[in-house]
Amino acid sequence: MLTAAYKRGVERLRARMQGRFRAWVNRRIPPARSVTLNQKRIFIFPSSVGLFFGLCLLIMLIAAINYQNNMSFALTFLLATLFVVATLHTYANLSGLTIHAVRAKSAFPGQQSEFEIYIERTKQRPHYALHVKWAQSTDATVNLESDHRVEIRLHTAVGKRGWYSPGRLLVESTFPLGLLRCWTWIDLDLHALVYPQPEACGPLPGLATDKPDGAAVAIVGSDDFYGFRDYQLGDSPKQIHWKGLAKGQALQSKQYGAYADRSVWLDWDMFMGRDSEQRLSHLCYWALELESDNVEYGLRMPGLVIQPGSGIKHRDQILKELALYGLPGGRQ
Amino acid sequence: MRPEQQVPRNALVWIIITMFTLVAPHVGRIPLWILGLYAIAVFWRIMVYSGRWSFPGRWVKVALTLTCFSGTFFSFGTLIGLEPTVALLLAAFALKLIELVNRKDGYVLLFLGYFLCITEFLFSQDIPIALYSLLNVTLITTGLVALNQPGQHRFNFKTIRLPALMLLQAFPLMLVLFFLFPRIGPLWTVPLKSLTAKTGVSDFMKPGDISNLSQSDEVAFRVQFEGEIPSREDMYWRGLVFSRLVEGAWTSLVYYEIPVRERREKPVTTDGEPVEYSVIMEPTQQNWLFSLRYARPLGRGVMRAPDYRLFLPIEMEDEYQYRVRSWPDTVLDRELSDWRRRTELALPEDTNPRTRQLGVELRRSAADDRAFVDTVLRKFNQEPYIYTLQPPTLGEDAMDEFLFETRRGFCEHYAYAFVVMMRAAGLPARVVAGYQGGEINPVNRTVIVHQFDAHAWAEVWLEGEGWVRVDPTAAVSPDRIEWGLEQAVSGEGTFLAGSPLSPLRFRSVAWVNTLRLRYDALTYQWQKWVIGYEGERQYNFLQKLLGEVSGWNFVVVLLGSWLLVLLPVALSLLSKRTIRRLSPAEKQFVSFCNKLAKAGISRAPSEAPGDYSRRVVRLHPSMAPQVTQISALYNELAYADAGLSAARRADLLEQFARAVRGLKMPSKHQGASE
Repeated sequence: MLTAAYKRGVERLRARMQGRFRAWVNRRIPPARSVTLNQKRIFIFPSSVGLFFGLCLLIMLIAAINYQNNMSFALTFLLATLFVVATLHTYANLSGLTIHAVRAKSAFPGQQSEFEIYIERTKQRPHYALHVKWAQSTDATVNLESDHRVEIRLHTAVGKRGWYSPGRLLVESTFPLGLLRCWTWIDLDLHALVYPQPEACGPLPGLATDKPDGAAVAIVGSDDFYGFRDYQLGDSPKQIHWKGLAKGQALQSKQYGAYADRSVWLDWDMFMGRDSEQRLSHLCYWALELESDNVEYGLRMPGLVIQPGSGIKHRDQILKELALYGLPGGRQ
Repeated sequence: MRPEQQVPRNALVWIIITMFTLVAPHVGRIPLWILGLYAIAVFWRIMVYSGRWSFPGRWVKVALTLTCFSGTFFSFGTLIGLEPTVALLLAAFALKLIELVNRKDGYVLLFLGYFLCITEFLFSQDIPIALYSLLNVTLITTGLVALNQPGQHRFNFKTIRLPALMLLQAFPLMLVLFFLFPRIGPLWTVPLKSLTAKTGVSDFMKPGDISNLSQSDEVAFRVQFEGEIPSREDMYWRGLVFSRLVEGAWTSLVYYEIPVRERREKPVTTDGEPVEYSVIMEPTQQNWLFSLRYARPLGRGVMRAPDYRLFLPIEMEDEYQYRVRSWPDTVLDRELSDWRRRTELALPEDTNPRTRQLGVELRRSAADDRAFVDTVLRKFNQEPYIYTLQPPTLGEDAMDEFLFETRRGFCEHYAYAFVVMMRAAGLPARVVAGYQGGEINPVNRTVIVHQFDAHAWAEVWLEGEGWVRVDPTAAVSPDRIEWGLEQAVSGEGTFLAGSPLSPLRFRSVAWVNTLRLRYDALTYQWQKWVIGYEGERQYNFLQKLLGEVSGWNFVVVLLGSWLLVLLPVALSLLSKRTIRRLSPAEKQFVSFCNKLAKAGISRAPSEAPGDYSRRVVRLHPSMAPQVTQISALYNELAYADAGLSAARRADLLEQFARAVRGLKMPSKHQGASE
């Protein structure tokens, strides 16, 4: 009973301490897209190897005292002062570095997102064994020896839809002697967009499968000539304006109205009776499907209409809206 | 294994180099199979590295460890002692190499290396060893740096630069700590002791022992006199007083054999002018000290024996220094106690009958004790007795054989025979062992006493005079006392015959001798100020330096001097040149931008120089010619730089600078009307 209460107390205390510490770090190292490391941001403490080294020094000191051996004293003191000097060198190895956020790749839940950053040195000295990682991410150890900057890609599994924040980036180094650990936590203000989990469902409601493509489109202007546009790779030979070509004009394709109208509307209201997360999942699924089928599609959501289109950019825009729907910072 | 936990190849090479430099000075005191172990370990690790072999399995490791322990036991006969311990440490160091899998193992290995440096100092703290250890520390530290430098796939000699620099920066800090750190006594005694005997006078003297010792050119001790250095003939360094003759060997009295009331030195009235001097002894692993008679120690720690010699309660494992005041003219033991008289007359009944007989006869024919002593000395001097470094070995009745047959002997033979004759005739006498003479180093006026100055002489007790020094060797070979061993045996060419390269054999070559003496003077300073820096010397030094020895003073001096060193280091580390240095053209362009910024048209960070110029012209059409020129010049200098000749570039830069200097800013009014 008592132990449980005690444990709870300790737990609470620890949580509060962590909260305080986080708040303190936040004040000290505010989020920024690029951070230059200086004394305000760098922490230094003996590493576990350094503590072991201290133990060795203690044994050496006792040997020196017991043998009354002045050269052993000198050696022990030389190593102890080497430790002191190493503090400056370890610190200098991290100081003057600038860490820039580049971008974070969007991902689906459960996937790995790629975070790209680069480290740049502002001073003429080389930096070695810089270890970077986010709490949950893969890590990397890099040197800045001859180059002035080095790019780093770290991967981390993302969570629910919305903006995924990897937390603070740990930059640490024990160079040159491994006896001291110098580190910092920086918030690079880098977030990965996590899309809704795509979830397949039956045929798209309201999309009749027995009719040809584009039948669902309200406007009927079939096969009406619409205009010319520059030939693009993949245009059917039937479309090519051969007459023009024969006249010596540039290669052009004819456009027909019906093609423009072969578009699908993804509508929030298509999935009546499902909760909003499920709707988002279905919409996401269909957006991916239609994109891969080269069908133009638009999105209608409460408070938002995206005109039909296609292409990666269009898809990403739609997925972003789906990802952020109903989230603080996203569209309502 | 995670890649950053791997040991980089560069580190591996440095560690292997370090292994060999660490083991090198121990060769000679460790069994040879340990070197074999090193070769095997390195070979094995290289095979592992090249992927042909694998790391040893657990049982192999256990077997190797057991082999090392039993090997050490068989080589030394014991596992306790300094040499076996060092041998085991060195073996562990070699074995750890074939276990060197990740960086953690590397740390253990290198820290063990630092510890091995210390073991070297337990054998010697001389200048060469200190310098060599500094090299070792640099190499070990290089190993540490290499271990922390990932991605070094080949041996890189330049790795040594950073650790060398760091040690250089740490060195002055170490000196401060070295001089300030209070030297307290050992926390517990029984430190491991060395098993190898040191050369030196021993408490067990048989004929032939001192002549053996005289083959060595090692330094026994060095003496610095306060005033005048006494003459050579007077420098009899007493170390041991041999009162007991047992089975043909002389030994001193054992403490518990002495009756309690005889254990303390008798009160002595000192006579004449004292001499004051300090002695630095090389480690002897014995506990007796050498001094001129009659000596009293200055300072604590040194004890006095009832036969007027000095000793330490513990054995000397390191250099030891002590200060002494001596009164050479003092009468010792004006009265002799019964016990003392009995002891100093005792002779084994069954040996050397002829010698004892001769003693009795010579005494009978002499008028008094003094005349008897002179008769014996005259006998040595006038009969064909020879002083030699190579005396023949003697049998059971050694002195009979020596006196009547071989007649060739070293100092211990003459002292021995003399004392036997004295005791046989009823005159208390004893053998004294120590050193005689010494070499005066003109560089620092120290007296260097070598092992070949080892000597044995006699003391007889005369009524009214107490103990009187008699040196029978002086009767045989006056040169030995007046000039030293080298002159005394120059006829037979046996001086340091065993060490042909000893610099002492080349004393006639001026530059060798000068070098030797200078180095010896340096060694003396080293022993005095570095190795012997403790206790009183430390206190006096600190008092002179700080005025007052207190904890507060220590802290101030320590922090002050450390800051003095660390601040410049920190500044040089943290204020390295920034990388982007502007080219001359860029500098001019920046000042151009600054000028315009003052007039309210600052360049946006994303704005290209050309766009910026066009914007300026749009805002201030009056400036068009100047700005266009500047823009064109900058474009040419910045983007066509590679194609420009040096002269052309200089010319353009000159124009550029002039144009920027001559840029007239539009007045505010003009700007506002726009």
